[in-house]
Amino acid sequence: MVSINEGTLLSELHLKIIKFFHENQASIDTPRGVSTWVREERPKVKQALEDLVVLKILSAHRSTSTTGYSYTTNKKIISKIEKLLKKRNPS
Amino acid sequence: MGEIKDNKGYQRELFDRLKKSISLKKEEECIGLCLGSALWWLIEEPHPKDACLKKLISNKCPVLKDKNSYKKNCCLNTLVEVVKKAGKSRALTNFECLEGLRGFVYPVFQGDKLYGYIGSCYTKKYVSPQLMNVFAAFTDAIVREVQKELELSKLYETIRPRAVALSTVHTVHRLISSTLDMNELLQRIARLSLQILRANRCSIKLVDSTKKLLLPKVTIDLREKKSKLKKVRIGRWSPGKAAKFGRPIRDINYLATPLIDEDVIGVITLYDKVDKKPFTAFDQEIMSTLAEQAVIAIKNAQLYKEQEKLTIGMIRSLATIVSAHAKGTNLPRASFLRITILIGQKMRLPAMGLKELEYATLLHDAGHLVVPDEVLTKPTKLTGREYSMVKEHPITGAEILRPMKSLKSVTPIILHHHENYDGTGYPKGLKKDQIPLGARIMAVVSAFEAMIEKRPYRTRISIDDATEEISRNAGTQFDPKVVQALLEVVKRQDIRAMLMKERYGKHK
Repeated sequence: MVSINEGTLLSELHLKIIKFFHENQASIDTPRGVSTWVREERPKVKQALEDLVVLKILSAHRSTSTTGYSYTTNKKIISKIEKLLKKRNPS
Repeated sequence: MGEIKDNKGYQRELFDRLKKSISLKKEEECIGLCLGSALWWLIEEPHPKDACLKKLISNKCPVLKDKNSYKKNCCLNTLVEVVKKAGKSRALTNFECLEGLRGFVYPVFQGDKLYGYIGSCYTKKYVSPQLMNVFAAFTDAIVREVQKELELSKLYETIRPRAVALSTVHTVHRLISSTLDMNELLQRIARLSLQILRANRCSIKLVDSTKKLLLPKVTIDLREKKSKLKKVRIGRWSPGKAAKFGRPIRDINYLATPLIDEDVIGVITLYDKVDKKPFTAFDQEIMSTLAEQAVIAIKNAQLYKEQEKLTIGMIRSLATIVSAHAKGTNLPRASFLRITILIGQKMRLPAMGLKELEYATLLHDAGHLVVPDEVLTKPTKLTGREYSMVKEHPITGAEILRPMKSLKSVTPIILHHHENYDGTGYPKGLKKDQIPLGARIMAVVSAFEAMIEKRPYRTRISIDDATEEISRNAGTQFDPKVVQALLEVVKRQDIRAMLMKERYGKHK
């Protein structure tokens, strides 16, 4: 498993997406939906979502028409993300 | 919104925002300049222990800085009384402090609601009523602006989670309605349910034909790799009760939601939330929505399966008619169907492509119906005219199937299954990738079948000789990739055994 340290290649966009899913852990959304929530361009969001799938932060539910992305259920990863987000935004 | 306004928390939030308001700070700067100098303060309630007032008297006021605590307390109490008076009068109130300096207090009202007080001390110039009116008007405008900001923020906080939930429901709908394969569909519904409710286990059971049992179809447990699939009698355990009563059954660690069409068709049960919290009414509501979508998708998959059964039945009947009427044309053996599908899988055909290939295998020689029996069974070489008649059979086969719209995608395979890879085949003389992949597969498999089966015009040859012959023609008559796939498939022990059993009635 790839560790989620601050050193891992996580851009601001990656963090915005992680924050969205961390705050809405029951959410399953398409690249179009996520790009609306994080207010970023869809192609960039799509790539970032796939990066986060590789990091096992997100799960991809693939179908012929679209892919739905959802947050990990792994407690260790969630706890690491919690710390990462607090460190980046203490308020 | 009225209820929120009455809320003490709302009042505090509004006041906090007012304290941070840039517009108010700018107003204080401007009015401060007109007043010569001013110390500003905002308080919620007039009280001698108010931290803001205490700080003002003890630290901020330049006059009281060096005075003793008695003097400071007197000033503080006087100020508190002035603020109370301003609150009662609901109007801007001027005052003169014990040190002879001027100030004023403005109670912040919105309708009947008193939110707090804005005050100024240490004003060196005379405070004209006109200036006070300007201050009051501006302050009211700023309070309204802050109030609107707060209400918008509250609205956003309320609407956003609902919008996110709605988007999730929409995504789930798209994900589950994109498959018609029942197993894949149920797996998908289970996984999505686990994700949305953040639960550890999900089980989907469907009502059996006797309507007495719930048959387990899918169980996913995130904690264990293997999950037991148990039948449940309707009326027993939580899934059985949900099926019996047609309503969700919820407890701390489980939530069983019935799948209701006209009748209950099954139950989705979720167990143990990941965060160990109990299942809530909101979870129940979400699952009921998901169950409604799941029912539609399950019914669609069932209808599709029925349709598929009808289609395959119809195709088999047609193939039987062809073999009965066209002498020398036999129903394809099970081994050829299997070989065709395995080659299709090796060539990475999607599930739908494999289905089409299966249908085409059964009907590829449907065009033999219009070829005279004596031509099909002729043991000697065909004349030019007879060969022309045989060459017509892919076109005739495609024509026979054309009225069946559900087999529209099968006709190109039948039409082109006698095309050669190098363009020397018929009916169109297509080359390489111009020939549909299904047709290229069909060409290889039907040639293999023709070689190892007995034909009126030739004796059958061994499997190895047939594969050798086909290999020799790779790149000319046949697609080399398909030939390679055939060689790999025919090497398989199970396929060998199947072919031997069909040919000799025993394993060899």
